[in-house]
Amino acid sequence: MALDLLSPVRVISAVGGRVLRLALLLATVAVASFVLMVNSPVDPVSAYVGADVAVIGPEQRALIAERWGLDDPPLERFGAWLGNLLQGDLGHSLTFNQPVTEVIAQRFLTSLALMSAAWLLSGLIGFALGVLAGVQRGRAADRVVTWWAYTLASAPTFWVGLLLLYVFSVRLGWTPVCCAVPVGVTADEVGLLDRIHHLLLPAVTLSIVGVAPVVLHTRHAVVEALESDYVAFARAQGESTAGVVLHRVLRNAAAPALLLQFSSWGELFGGSVLAEQVFSYPGLGAATTAAALGQDVPLLLGIALFTTVFVFVGNAIGDLVHAQVDPRIRRVGASWRSRGRATAEEVA
Amino acid sequence: MARGARSSPRWAALAAAAAMAVVVAGCGTPTPAPAAAPPDELRLAIGGESEEGYDPTLGWGRYGSPLFQSTLLTRDADLNVVPDLATNYSVSEDGLVWTVDIRTDARFTDGTPVTARDVAYTFSTAARSGGLTDVTALQEAVAVDDDTVELRLTAPQSTFVNRLVSLGIVPEHAHGPDYARNPIGSGPFRFVQWDPGQQLIVERNDDYYGQLPAFRRVVFLFTDEDATVAAATAGQVDVAAVPSSLATATIPGMRLEAVTSVDNRGISFPTVPDTGRTDADGRPIGNDVTSDLAIRQAVNWAVDRQALVDGVLAGYGSPATGPVDGLPWYEPASAIPGNDPARAASILDAAGWVDSDGDGVRERNGVRAAFTLLYRAEDSLRQGLALAVADMVRPVGIDITVSGVSWDAITNRLHADAVVFGWGSHDPTEMYNLYSSRQAGIEFWNPGYYSNPTVDAHLDAAMAATDPEVANRHWRAAQADENGVGFGPAGDAAWAWLVNLQHTYYVDECLDIGRPQIEPHGHGWPITAGITGWRWTC
Repeated sequence: MALDLLSPVRVISAVGGRVLRLALLLATVAVASFVLMVNSPVDPVSAYVGADVAVIGPEQRALIAERWGLDDPPLERFGAWLGNLLQGDLGHSLTFNQPVTEVIAQRFLTSLALMSAAWLLSGLIGFALGVLAGVQRGRAADRVVTWWAYTLASAPTFWVGLLLLYVFSVRLGWTPVCCAVPVGVTADEVGLLDRIHHLLLPAVTLSIVGVAPVVLHTRHAVVEALESDYVAFARAQGESTAGVVLHRVLRNAAAPALLLQFSSWGELFGGSVLAEQVFSYPGLGAATTAAALGQDVPLLLGIALFTTVFVFVGNAIGDLVHAQVDPRIRRVGASWRSRGRATAEEVA
Repeated sequence: MARGARSSPRWAALAAAAAMAVVVAGCGTPTPAPAAAPPDELRLAIGGESEEGYDPTLGWGRYGSPLFQSTLLTRDADLNVVPDLATNYSVSEDGLVWTVDIRTDARFTDGTPVTARDVAYTFSTAARSGGLTDVTALQEAVAVDDDTVELRLTAPQSTFVNRLVSLGIVPEHAHGPDYARNPIGSGPFRFVQWDPGQQLIVERNDDYYGQLPAFRRVVFLFTDEDATVAAATAGQVDVAAVPSSLATATIPGMRLEAVTSVDNRGISFPTVPDTGRTDADGRPIGNDVTSDLAIRQAVNWAVDRQALVDGVLAGYGSPATGPVDGLPWYEPASAIPGNDPARAASILDAAGWVDSDGDGVRERNGVRAAFTLLYRAEDSLRQGLALAVADMVRPVGIDITVSGVSWDAITNRLHADAVVFGWGSHDPTEMYNLYSSRQAGIEFWNPGYYSNPTVDAHLDAAMAATDPEVANRHWRAAQADENGVGFGPAGDAAWAWLVNLQHTYYVDECLDIGRPQIEPHGHGWPITAGITGWRWTC
């Protein structure tokens, strides 16, 4: 993509720069997360013992701490973890009694379906509504769409989820009340349609997290474009509104929408934590909750690193696509790197 | 998460109102006919997922039914110990060797017979593994022959019987790292599929030696509270465990069962005066007000426990008189009727606590009858109890300052302030831990440093007993002996026990779940203890 504008040397240095920054970011995230978790007042053994505190004695607690390797000093534990990490071993999850890589792989596959469905939904719906509102600025359609966007922006995900659950699953019975697969059906009998059916409500709930910013930013971009000289010029030449929107506005409005959409991967993940909880949808979000409650340091670190990469990749793609859609970015920013820095700051 | 936090309180209120409206509307209309659940399938939403899998040596099955495995002994509906995989057991004179005979007709679901070697392996493994079952009392387990096992302990422990009741036997030949995700056992059910975070599917083990379940297949749904209510309302589950605060709706086709429990809430009192002493971690010990017996007795007499049940628990509970109400080792003589403020006042008068400055709070030797009561801030039930108790004791001249804090803060203050705790176990070890002076300041046990040599003697005798009846006699005497000495409210009043919760379940009208056991702390899975006896009635 856009290779005509970039020499191989530039590409290599740009990619190298990104990789270097990702490595630094990962190191920072790992150290910061570990320090936070080691200093957390939650004791993993106490969290694990929970209500069994009455009959689990100090000797048994010592056995639990030994099984999890909690006896070593924090620095030594971090060193051991880092050593294993460099060999590709993320450690063993305390909560799930399973290698961290396995937990993340299984959970992420489930989450991926949910998040990509929600992401597509919020992007398409958000962009369409944003364009509609921008074109109809000040009229009834604009007011309704804007009001709706503000309402969604302030509605808590879990509440929207519960509301949808009661309306569509309990009252109307159109959608299932829980889970990613039908209740009581073994894996070999579950079809693709079943999975989509179970994905529907959580995906709609989660897409609501992302739809409002896309609507509002797109609307703004459309309004800006419609007020520009080149639109006035096109109109003066007799181009219809539909033609103006199609030929002059859409591409201009798409740039911020795309950038926003890709940089929203972090928020998407945050929203999935809540949506998955409401619908008992067993993705990475639900695993994060369980890991946090159980003070499961290896799993939390694994998820933190994984989401860092995930969000970083989202931003990087956003930059690339943005540059592709909006030629000005390529000319103004001499390389991907400087542009990347700028967008990262904007996003932050 | 940020989104939820960002919404203003007004939004939250609106949201709650709208959600209520939808819920109410949802309940008003008859739901579509219950899903045509075949009568040989049962669906339960009672929580209880073991996220680390289904390995008894890590603690699986310590409540309710272990499903896949069977245990040496089991408890019947009255919590009496009865044989299961064991046909018989005996304890040596010195209490150190437990000899267990096991039945010879039991098979694991892979077809191999259950032998004494499997039992010995299970106990040895559990004793070494850092899980949620405490078998550290075991020195070694030895298979004497094919159907006899000797469990040798490091010290006599009558409560070791609870390990025989709760530890499911695993097959030595099939117990590896994958076992927790593919459990094999000799229990009433066979493992089919586990979708972590969603459901567990099991099927009847037709080869089971005991009473065969009435259902070919059972599905456990692991939904959270709101989704559980939704699933019940939508007619998709046959049993749903819901907190009593959510058990307000009438669900067509289901009845509400409130099961008695020893899931109790009570107040621990520091029973020693503050002399500046601290525990090993530097936490202060002692309180000059609650260390006085009269104060503790007065609180016990002034509290109207039935009012707490009606007001705070919405009726889903019962007054608590001790930590083990209704269990086989409960001593009814340790109870007091409670709610007699006049009696509380006269106890305080007799002890010299009088309100000399007319501020409504009694004093003695310049010490005000005032203390702090801590509770876990996020627990609204404990908050309600703490506030209500403070209101109930104020008229008799005791001033309780109620304070909601984190567990962390409670850990630092639990030897110096009164604390609202929740306990409740089928294992009297808990009672030992709460009242033995040996356990003072260990974990959350005996937080108030209670110590009475007579009580200690009974607790130690109960622990060392080789005969269950002798043990129970001593457990009872620790609460109140024939001289009225004991830790109970009629004696040293070391705690003020307040209420026992009832665990609420929506149950299909056509499902007979028999007479459930008195449940321990923990709502949900314990109800499965009697699952092999459940039947459809229509």
